[in-house]
Amino acid sequence: MTPPLQRLSRWLQIAWVIALFGFIAMPMLVVIVFSFDANRFPTIPWGGFSLEWHRAIFSDEMVIDAFLNSVKVGLGTAIFSTLLGFAAAYIDYRWKFRGRSSFVLLVAIPPAVPVTILGMAMLAFLSRAGLFGRTETIMACHVALATSFSMAIIRLRLAELGPELEQAAWNLGASPFTGLVRIVVPFCKPALIASFFLSAAVSFDEYMVAWFVGGVHETLPVRILNLLQGQVNPKINAIGTVVLVISITLVLVAQRFVGVKAGKRS
Amino acid sequence: MDSTAALPAKAGPHTPHRARTAGNPAALPVVLGLPVLVWQVVFFLAPLVFLIVITFWQVRSFRLEPAFVLDNWERVLGAGTFHMALWHTLKVAATNTVLALLLAFPAAYTIALRLPQRQRDLAVAMLVVPVFSSYMLRIYAWQVVLSPEGMVNTALSAVGIGPLPLLGGAFSLQVGLLTLTLPIAVLILTFALSGVDPVLVEAAENLGYRRSRVVLHVLIPAIKPAITLAATTTFLLAFGDYISPLFMTGSKPPTLSILIVDTVKSGSQWPRASVIGVSMLAVLALVFGLGRWFASRGAK
Repeated sequence: MTPPLQRLSRWLQIAWVIALFGFIAMPMLVVIVFSFDANRFPTIPWGGFSLEWHRAIFSDEMVIDAFLNSVKVGLGTAIFSTLLGFAAAYIDYRWKFRGRSSFVLLVAIPPAVPVTILGMAMLAFLSRAGLFGRTETIMACHVALATSFSMAIIRLRLAELGPELEQAAWNLGASPFTGLVRIVVPFCKPALIASFFLSAAVSFDEYMVAWFVGGVHETLPVRILNLLQGQVNPKINAIGTVVLVISITLVLVAQRFVGVKAGKRS
Repeated sequence: MDSTAALPAKAGPHTPHRARTAGNPAALPVVLGLPVLVWQVVFFLAPLVFLIVITFWQVRSFRLEPAFVLDNWERVLGAGTFHMALWHTLKVAATNTVLALLLAFPAAYTIALRLPQRQRDLAVAMLVVPVFSSYMLRIYAWQVVLSPEGMVNTALSAVGIGPLPLLGGAFSLQVGLLTLTLPIAVLILTFALSGVDPVLVEAAENLGYRRSRVVLHVLIPAIKPAITLAATTTFLLAFGDYISPLFMTGSKPPTLSILIVDTVKSGSQWPRASVIGVSMLAVLALVFGLGRWFASRGAK
């Protein structure tokens, strides 16, 4: 191509990427910007800066309750899925046994099942088992989903751990357990932290399963879903801003530790 | 479990240490693996198996009772509403898959092959964030933006156009679904294109290939498995989505997910809702099977 054409093509490519990021980012910006709008209904022109709706959600007991439920469920999910995800990733990394791929699949596949079906199935089964309508049940179901992400992150890190270190420890007399605690866990620390924050984020945004199995216990996304199905409520943008800020923070922290990079090119 | 195979022999003099710490090394995989196994079986596998089981159960005076009847299957699979919803959902998901791939590829190409490392990392970070941030809220925002009094129509009326009925049809539904699927499609393709050996591209360029031929004959074949992955993931998400059909089209026409929730809500029709769910899983399994076959075909 001739240089001017080449420059044009380069410009078009960059413009396309910017347009695409605009499309992806705009809805989030809309929620955040309109949460500070004095108008009751989100329309332009903007009605002026106001903290009214942010203040209003702090006195809304159902929102506060939902928030606390979300924190509880999210924290539990973060802890348990990181533990289980680590165990699953380490087993996959360390041992060869019959049924290993089925074992890994059992952990990896839940996010591939549509949440509507999963929520319905969990409700049908767990209500039979007498576990319906508890925050602990929401958490347990979120763990079944989020462990998949934890395992993936930790397994990626383990792939970088050569077998020599552990073997050296064994040869020096460490038990597999000691090797695990002294070598593998410290090596995986960044991935464990990333997994913690990412599974919290997964739980913090999940609405369908929480909606089905939670009964009267609403998490924040479920509260939003119920609000959205009712009348227009100006508090939604304010709640949404809180939810977005929390999940974006969780994901960014996770990303900081996982260090995902699209392949290096010279 | 054959754990010993992977463990090297321990040096003799140090064996006493081993006895002091953890005892039988074969116990470790079991201790680590059992909780994971139990958890996933109780909270994931058993519910899905139970879902299949109750498709054969009966509802008598609003109570679900164990039985073995094919009535639910016959009723759902024979119903016109189910056929229409299935066809509509397939069409919507397929359209979304094509759109997502076409829109994502040029962006992924630029991010992976044209941007410097730092900007590429930033782009990846900006794509990962929306994947894990409230989809439902973003759909609500689109509702606000596309509504008759929304931002787009206000802007259009300033230049004398509109108001356009942007909300409530195929257009808004695809906007909603792309909000869900586009970042993921771009991510998958970006990672794949970043992994393509630059030597391949250079060689093709040195041979006088034009850019379009490099893309068609070098890049696309090189990342075929990733394209398949992006396509199947997009299809899966769009096929199973509940939020966009609900808020962007007001459930008209209903998709299968909408049908499931409506069937559950409309009184204890759990068996019929389960039939719809199991049918959806069958369709997805089929799509994944096709995807795997397609990705492996010709791959050496």
